[in-house]
Amino acid sequence: MNMLEAATTLLSRGQNSDGGWGSVAGKGSNTEATALAFLALRSLGGHDIATQKAGQWLAERQNPDGSWPLSGMMKGSSWSTALALIALSDSADQRDRIVKAGNWVLEQEGSKPGILANLILALSFEKKIVHLNEDLIGWSWTPHSFSWVEPTSYFILALKKIKSHLPAKPVQERVEQGELMIYDRMCEGGGWNYGNAAVYDDRLWPYPDITAIALIALQDRRERKENQSSLRALTDMAQNTGSGLALGWTLLCLSIYGQDGAELKKRLEQQFVKTKFLGETKALALSVLGLGSGARYFRV
Amino acid sequence: MNRRQFLKTTAAAASVYPFLGACEQPIRWEKSAYVKAKSSRVAILAADSYANGLRDTILRGIKLFQMDLTGKRVLLKPNLVEFDPKGVINTHAAVIEAAIDSFRSLGAREVIVAEGPGHRRDNEYLLTASGLYDVIREHRVRYVDLNSDDVHLTKLKSSYTNLKELYLPETLYNADLLVSMPKLKTHHWAGVTLSLKNMFGVVPGSVYGWPKNALHWAGINGSIVDINSSLPIPRFAIVDGIVGMEGNGPLQGQAKQGGVLIFGPDLVAVDATAARLMTIEPRQIKYLTHAAEFLGNLGHEEIEQIGEKLDSHQKDFRVIDKFTYLKKLIG
Repeated sequence: MNMLEAATTLLSRGQNSDGGWGSVAGKGSNTEATALAFLALRSLGGHDIATQKAGQWLAERQNPDGSWPLSGMMKGSSWSTALALIALSDSADQRDRIVKAGNWVLEQEGSKPGILANLILALSFEKKIVHLNEDLIGWSWTPHSFSWVEPTSYFILALKKIKSHLPAKPVQERVEQGELMIYDRMCEGGGWNYGNAAVYDDRLWPYPDITAIALIALQDRRERKENQSSLRALTDMAQNTGSGLALGWTLLCLSIYGQDGAELKKRLEQQFVKTKFLGETKALALSVLGLGSGARYFRV
Repeated sequence: MNRRQFLKTTAAAASVYPFLGACEQPIRWEKSAYVKAKSSRVAILAADSYANGLRDTILRGIKLFQMDLTGKRVLLKPNLVEFDPKGVINTHAAVIEAAIDSFRSLGAREVIVAEGPGHRRDNEYLLTASGLYDVIREHRVRYVDLNSDDVHLTKLKSSYTNLKELYLPETLYNADLLVSMPKLKTHHWAGVTLSLKNMFGVVPGSVYGWPKNALHWAGINGSIVDINSSLPIPRFAIVDGIVGMEGNGPLQGQAKQGGVLIFGPDLVAVDATAARLMTIEPRQIKYLTHAAEFLGNLGHEEIEQIGEKLDSHQKDFRVIDKFTYLKKLIG
């Protein structure tokens, strides 16, 4: 059995009876894992019952306001709405759900530090700990908190994929603002971590998974110098990083940017033999997507 | 009044704003959250390296507290926030390995290693890069990613933030003892990061994001206290102070030889002792003073030091400029 078959088998076995997937086999179904596993099995074809059940899980969990909760056991809206949208964006019969979710996405935005916090900082004359433009707004992990690179990238990608269903101007404004935020948070030399390039004068380093996700969100800006330097940073990082999550996202990104990922596929297989990606659903799903033809779901 | 005093005064005024008019400081914790004993024991054991006799030292440290571990499920919570091949960010894998061995030899039914890294989602990378993957595989230990575990909504037992409730990982509810295993480090937001601050790692990133910024927005000092007041199981601490971090911690500081391991069931007292070992005054650390109201002991006079003498192992850990006031030890 080759790695793709082995990872697919592990992934399939992890599907819960309700049709969703948990973070690892045996855990309760959640939106992120289910969306990625759904796309992974769909990319292979021939998993009709599993994908039908997963699609149904996603459809039934949508909140009345259009968002998705984090998991089957939690109420409320979550950042994983973006991944549910990406998963369902190619489904013609889900148009109403997509429009509703898209409108919810447009209403969400990260917050800025309050006036009082800024005043205290200004009065303190203390050296700024972080150096980022707080006026640039993207999307946050939780409501009423700061914008970060990963959720902003997911939401930008989701909006780009469903923009034909939504009014053009608000989509364009939010996407442009979110892109500016992502570029503002880029690490020196290219690439991204969670969203902070330096603390005091000490530089922080980029992560391959986040860099790949950000580059996928910014794929229609590929001529920009920031994209080019970050793509170089990603390929450099990929030489030294071994994990299903990082290599899976990197392979998807390289495919979208028309780069060769043959060497990384070998590394992914070696890593799978060593760790089985700790059995993590998202890593298994991303590796299946990255090894096969999954990049099409992330193209805009 | 200088600027720092002015800011401290205004911050203090803001924190008591809802209670203006009251003569005494308001109580911000439930009665059931009060676990402070009259006095607490903390052990300091010398440990020069991660190689020689580490397992014996850790076993000896745990035994000093005569816990009945027979049949218990013990959850080890190291600090594995990020990885830097040139840095000393994380609890050393050898310390975790020695703790696994020790708790098993003392009769634990199961030892689990669990962490919810605060910056990176990539557990597989952090585990393999830090050497912890080889440890858990060799010792056949279950690892739980607390960032993506199933969750329980937990009502907070104190209100130093406005959070009121937090989702916490299910794995915490199925364990009998939670062992906080931090690294001895300075911290650019909180002053120090030790066994209490290490509990930020039990808050699931899948709910609150990476970094766990919702806690920073709620107030880092208050969040530390509210999390620790509300964890559902007894705790113990083993601090990896063999090599710690000074300066711009918790990620970008410099390595500093500490040469000690610190043990104890009162996490406030353990952290107070660890701070004193860094010649940092614990009574100036905001979250420790809050925690000392009801979670544990902070003062010299309330802590029975066992093992090595504190003053023979004190090292001058450098802090960033804004925390120079922490370096004036009281008593």
